[in-house]
Amino acid sequence: MKRYLKLYLHFLRFSFSKAMEFRLDFTFRIVMDIIYYFVNLALFKILFLHTDLIAGWTLEQMMIFVASYLLVDAINMTFFSTNLWWLPYYINKGDLDYYLIRPVSALFFLSVREFSANSFLNLIIAVFIFVYSIINYTQPWEVEKLFGLILLLINGAFIYYLIQMLMIIPAFWTQSTRGFIDLFYTLGLAMERPDRIFKGWIRIIFTTILPFSLIASFPARYFIEGLEELSLLHLLSVSLVLWILILSLWKKGLRNYSSASS
Amino acid sequence: MIKINSLTKNYTTYIKEPGLKGSFKSLFIRRKKVKEALKSVSLEISQGEIVGLIGANGAGKTTLIKILAGIVFPSSGEVSVMGFNPWERNNQYRRCMSLIMGQKAQVWWDLPALDTFLLLKEIYEIDEKLYKENLEFLSETLMVKDQLKTQVRKLSLGERMKIELMASLLHRPKVIFLDEPTIGLDISAQKAVREFIKSYQSEFKPITILTSHYMEDIKELCPRIVIMKEGGFVYDGPLSNIQKMMGDEKCLTVTTKDSTFKLTIPRLELAAKTSEIFQNHDVIDLNIHDPSIENIIESIMKYGLHST
Repeated sequence: MKRYLKLYLHFLRFSFSKAMEFRLDFTFRIVMDIIYYFVNLALFKILFLHTDLIAGWTLEQMMIFVASYLLVDAINMTFFSTNLWWLPYYINKGDLDYYLIRPVSALFFLSVREFSANSFLNLIIAVFIFVYSIINYTQPWEVEKLFGLILLLINGAFIYYLIQMLMIIPAFWTQSTRGFIDLFYTLGLAMERPDRIFKGWIRIIFTTILPFSLIASFPARYFIEGLEELSLLHLLSVSLVLWILILSLWKKGLRNYSSASS
Repeated sequence: MIKINSLTKNYTTYIKEPGLKGSFKSLFIRRKKVKEALKSVSLEISQGEIVGLIGANGAGKTTLIKILAGIVFPSSGEVSVMGFNPWERNNQYRRCMSLIMGQKAQVWWDLPALDTFLLLKEIYEIDEKLYKENLEFLSETLMVKDQLKTQVRKLSLGERMKIELMASLLHRPKVIFLDEPTIGLDISAQKAVREFIKSYQSEFKPITILTSHYMEDIKELCPRIVIMKEGGFVYDGPLSNIQKMMGDEKCLTVTTKDSTFKLTIPRLELAAKTSEIFQNHDVIDLNIHDPSIENIIESIMKYGLHST
């Protein structure tokens, strides 16, 4: 564990020294993300001009939820997304070789080696939005609840990562996983909707095999109105099962890895 | 110690006819094609040995090396390297093994080499003393001391290859797989890399398997060679024997008024063939010599071993 932390510090150092070199890209990404935040916040503010409640939430409750998924998205962008973007290409082109011969977990290496320094500033902005939404929350709340919310959102970011891996790992068998990844981005919008609006089998999908609703909506509900123990247990077991599934699929994928070369 | 016993690797691919029509067809009917990359090969290499693996593109060299390095899973057969089964991906095995591919880079492109080395030190848990000692020794023998703090992408191809070699040897592996380490290098850089491998081998005595398309590398470095053809071994033995085995043949270089051509002829037919040539052509110059190692290996790679 300590060793992996040390390795991660190296990745951080690398990423920052690299980011300093490409300043244009740096500014561009920050501007793009600020626009994304603004659009998300404005959307719900406008909707609440016409109604008092959406999916049972008031504006300030909705802001907690919006801040939650923005935070998860920022965590994903900062820690995982650059790595996961390239992973299918690496698998297809046979570029995993040097990762597979090292005496560390290749999955760890490939998932987090590129820390996105560019997105880091956005993570800070997302934290500010999150703090702001908590400060503006007028209902009574307890510190333990806030602490629990943060833990559940970190778990949410992990679920988000696992769902992406679920779309990427087929690259070991198929030529391209673009289709799966596009599907991920389309369905991924489900993360940005309160889970109460989903009913029937759609709800089952979004809370089990593609658990987008467990990423931010369940945690926000936990903070706002509390979750029954059963829902909490469900959330944690789905995360665990998905994790085990990804680990075993990864192993299976490696067996099939053909390492295309000269 | 490396022991390989009837190792086989099959790749399954799907045949797609060219063009849009073909793509559409392959949506419904896919024709499977099994390619045998390795056909039940066996081999033994002892500690300290350096073996040259030769063969045309697609003969199975890289597949064999990748199986030994634990990257690719074999279809069947047994392999033991230093007592480990490579595809169990044991960290202990990975710590004493190294793979260097001339065609693929491992060092971080945008960073100075020293940064990558520090990361590798962490990955392989190399202790401070050994790390310093190795860094000193490797940068000294490879003569890249001044390049360690420059971003790798700003280095020349030759310098980059030396950095790659350093990166792969920092943890002082006992088994080294060198897949075309001199590819694309100019003559003097090739020579430098060769000299380095030679001195490293005599200093630390690892098991080394080397593949190369440059006969110069093989002649300089490998007392023992294995020649591969279509997934099988056609020769495994001392390099020096190969000339003797084909010693029953002679090469003729004939220059006539209009052209120059080369022939390989069994020794016993030499007299008859030569006089035939003199009769049929307007010969200016004729030269009889033993076939070179390059020629012999080329012919084995093409036609396999044949006894004359």
